[in-house]
Amino acid sequence: MSFAQGLLEALTKDLPLLYGPALLAVAATLMLWPGDRFVGRGNKKAWAFVAALVLLAAGALALTAPTDEGFNRMFRVDGLTKGFQALCVMGGLITIALSQPQLNALKEQTVEYYALILFSVCGMMLLVGATDLVSMYFSLELMALCIYVLVAYLRHQERSVEAGLKYFLLGAFSSGILLYGISLLFAAAGGVTTNLAELNGRLALVSANGSLLVYAGVLMVLVGFAFKVAAVPFHMWSPDAYEGAPTPITAFMSMAPKAAALGAFLRVFGTGFQGIASDWMLPLAYIAGASMVLGNVAALRQQSLKRLLAYSSIAHVGYMLLGVMSGDAQAGAQAIWLYMLTYLLMQSGAFAILIYLQGKGEGERIDDFRGLGRRQPVLAFAMMVFLLSLAGIPPLVGFFSKFILFKLAIEQGHVALTVLALLTSAVAAYYYLNVVAVMYFKEAPETERAPMGSLATLVVTVSCALILVGTFFGFRLMDWMGRIVLG
Amino acid sequence: MEAILSRSATYLFLLFGFIALGGAASMVFARNAVHSVIGFLVAMLAVAACYLTLQAEFLGVAQILVYAGGIVVLFLFVVMLVELTKFKEKRLFQIQTPWAVATVLVAVAAFGGVFWKTLFGPAAVEPLTLRPELAEGLKVAEQNAQALSRGLYADFLLPFEILSVILLVALVGAVVLAKTERV
Repeated sequence: MSFAQGLLEALTKDLPLLYGPALLAVAATLMLWPGDRFVGRGNKKAWAFVAALVLLAAGALALTAPTDEGFNRMFRVDGLTKGFQALCVMGGLITIALSQPQLNALKEQTVEYYALILFSVCGMMLLVGATDLVSMYFSLELMALCIYVLVAYLRHQERSVEAGLKYFLLGAFSSGILLYGISLLFAAAGGVTTNLAELNGRLALVSANGSLLVYAGVLMVLVGFAFKVAAVPFHMWSPDAYEGAPTPITAFMSMAPKAAALGAFLRVFGTGFQGIASDWMLPLAYIAGASMVLGNVAALRQQSLKRLLAYSSIAHVGYMLLGVMSGDAQAGAQAIWLYMLTYLLMQSGAFAILIYLQGKGEGERIDDFRGLGRRQPVLAFAMMVFLLSLAGIPPLVGFFSKFILFKLAIEQGHVALTVLALLTSAVAAYYYLNVVAVMYFKEAPETERAPMGSLATLVVTVSCALILVGTFFGFRLMDWMGRIVLG
Repeated sequence: MEAILSRSATYLFLLFGFIALGGAASMVFARNAVHSVIGFLVAMLAVAACYLTLQAEFLGVAQILVYAGGIVVLFLFVVMLVELTKFKEKRLFQIQTPWAVATVLVAVAAFGGVFWKTLFGPAAVEPLTLRPELAEGLKVAEQNAQALSRGLYADFLLPFEILSVILLVALVGAVVLAKTERV
């Protein structure tokens, strides 16, 4: 069999694994050209609809993909891949829905915006399935590069450009660290493979003189990942980037890339580097603990809701890292997936309301929520549900996902960290409840009521309804959902 | 004869490696943007020479064509089109110099220690080398270009394709950020 024949055969065998991400990349390219030629100046809005359809189709293709490994063992479809791919697609869909009011108001609708979102989700879908450090690194870059551009998308606003530049410089720097760590691990394992499963076996057997090299490599990979999920002390970019980015993109950054990066985190550390867990467990524990403490404490002082949500997302990442540290990778994946799913619902709802208030000319300051309870009772109620659920107050669904995660951490023997997590959750409850108190107990200046727009209403209604449903069925629903990741 | 050849190749590799480092350093430290570009050119040419000493002729030639040829010219265009003189007086990013120097020194010491222990550590039963099969594989593939194509289209097909999408995204991103008017 000739070389070319072998290639074709392998490609036809492996391609079904990639139908979802491939559809995204192809569709986004076609949207840019020639698609955009046929759409008039005023009709760019239509691309939102097309992009949403493409995302739905890609999600369906990804969920029905065969469970297998392919592309020279570089990509793997299993429960973890499918579960996190679904989260990324959901994040993309919500972002497209939330983008409409702002883009219409600023007359910034372009096909590139949606194409970049699709490319980014494509990178995420590849990232969560990557079982090789090389394919993982490139998928990570594809995902991140799109987001750098999207953050700076409103380039007439100085702070948007500033946020994009900061994010880009720090992101590129962290990529360098990650890549250097990968090369050290590659050398330490004998320079033969970058495959995670093979590396795991080889790294555990490295002779004594190479152990320091492995340690340095794993540490640098850990730092690179911590940058991408914005864990303390590698979080400096995130509040600025979150604040400066267009608000829908802030929502996007706090949902989809986080889910994808955590999925890869699980894949690399939970299963890949399990054999050298003693090297990274302690540093990761410090990173998780520091994220919980600093994220929550810094959120206390924020006046801007966007910054508050940014800092609180650092804290949430700290909690989720508990799942990565679990010795039982399956249970850890399940707990993180559930946490991320509920987090996505709460976060999307909160951002939908934030975007609505911004569209009315009110800003993103917490003071702007004064008296929302009297002005718009339904909206205020939904916001209260989101915030209480984010705080993890029982019986809301955020409590269940936190409970499952913390229970797992205690079972795995991380008692001190779990106690820290519980204490910092109490701190978090303060600043979330503070917003609720501002909504209900502060006098409001009289303002006009503006219509909310159907898509934002849809997002708020659906996520609020899902949270309430999750609240009533609680654990049973959680069990059933969690089984998806185990498949 | 072969021993002498391989040893001289090692020395040449080291020589060009240091030239590349010097070029990169002069690129970073040069005050004048045109001098930076020339430093970059030197670094790229030296890296190409490194490839040649490693018997990767195709890669060496591609390096010269793409980097030393295309990219350096592109850089020169940008340097000439964008007026950089107004930044000359501003000391951009210079307030943190002491911290940066301290960090670099600590990093150098740490990595020096890591490599020292790895290469000359007490348990260095076998020295760290890149895989011996690699050289065998190159011989089997007869030609450099063939070996490269095997790497790109068989072993690393998926990363290669992802990379092509990344380049497309970079292009789209540049257009999005630089276009003066949105249509």
